[in-house]
Amino acid sequence: MRNFYITTFLISTLLANANVVEIVEGMPYIKVEADGKTYKIERTQNEDAYLINTFALTSRPSPPFFIEPFSVNNEVETYGELEVLDFLAKKKGLFIDARLENWYVKSAIPTAVNIPFKLFLSESSEREQILKDLGGAYNKDGSWNFSSAKTILLYCNGAWCGQSPTAIKALLDIGYPAKKMKYYRGGMQAWQLLGLTTIVPKELK
Amino acid sequence: MRKLILLFVLTIGMWAGQFDKVKITPELSYIYVYHKGKAVKVHRIQDTKHKLTGEYAKQYRPGQDIQPIKMHKDIQTIAEVELLHFMKTKGNNKTGIMVDLRPKNAYQKESIPSAVNIPASTKDDQVKLEKILKVLGAKKLEDGSFDTSKVMQVAFYCNGLWCDKAPSFIKTFLELGYPAEKMLYYRGGFQMWKILGFTTVTNQ
Repeated sequence: MRNFYITTFLISTLLANANVVEIVEGMPYIKVEADGKTYKIERTQNEDAYLINTFALTSRPSPPFFIEPFSVNNEVETYGELEVLDFLAKKKGLFIDARLENWYVKSAIPTAVNIPFKLFLSESSEREQILKDLGGAYNKDGSWNFSSAKTILLYCNGAWCGQSPTAIKALLDIGYPAKKMKYYRGGMQAWQLLGLTTIVPKELK
Repeated sequence: MRKLILLFVLTIGMWAGQFDKVKITPELSYIYVYHKGKAVKVHRIQDTKHKLTGEYAKQYRPGQDIQPIKMHKDIQTIAEVELLHFMKTKGNNKTGIMVDLRPKNAYQKESIPSAVNIPASTKDDQVKLEKILKVLGAKKLEDGSFDTSKVMQVAFYCNGLWCDKAPSFIKTFLELGYPAEKMLYYRGGFQMWKILGFTTVTNQ
């Protein structure tokens, strides 16, 4: 009888911890580490969850907001959420939030590093250091060599956001290999619409 | 005087329509398509304060797996800009057709303009499937297989990122011999179409 109670208790505890809404069947969540912290990424378990924040807005004025094509470039792979999660779980490279800081501080995808798209543009004084941090080096003739550069995955606000495509185009122009760049087009909007975990980076500091 | 005011309002209204403040791309504000024989303007909601509400704003989706970006290596995934291009070219000259795979009641309530409804459950009905293949231009051969060399291009969609109906229906079509290059997968589906404020139609 005592065993029965213990078993019942264990099962109910398990059930309480189980996610009803899984990412895909058999994958309730993933855990990723960054800066010594572990983040659990899952989908909302709240039955009454609706997207109500500014990402529910359908119609942002254009310019500057236009709908981006599916691909930035034929050679740059476009990712969906499962591919983003796989990239994070397998630590395939650097995950970059390419939005201006005022967007990023409000909410972001866990473990993303904020490098605003403007810093990748040719007029940016910080570009050289960023490219070096990403593994770029100078050839003897002064051109860039990206043979040891990291694979990077960029995102911004979503289908109507040109910030990460602009960063990717600028990187292509300077010779960053297309195969080393990935584009998560769904961005913050699709991520939240699916009820996936976001964080408020401002509170981390 | 009233007529003059009306004329004035109408003129301003038409003039303003040429300058949508919520565009699709820098070059594109709207397209026209045919839905059940009527011309429909497809553009985006112009109220910049408008928010998506209702069932398509719902985040809680138990039992609805997030779908991969590609459902098959040979099937092209498209987004809105590519879908609109398809509607304007292939759809309007009838060399292509857009198929809404959601249940009949969802389609009746609201759909993408120019889409026809083939509920995903049809894939289990061999007789209906054959009829659909014939409408799309396939010819049944004596040995029972289909000649699909002259079929129309089809763009499929369902509810969106968490909907497996389009991927599974496309797989059925592949198994029936429908050429991969004649199929497109709009993964964003009805939910992304709605959250970007695009025009929808009712099919009551």
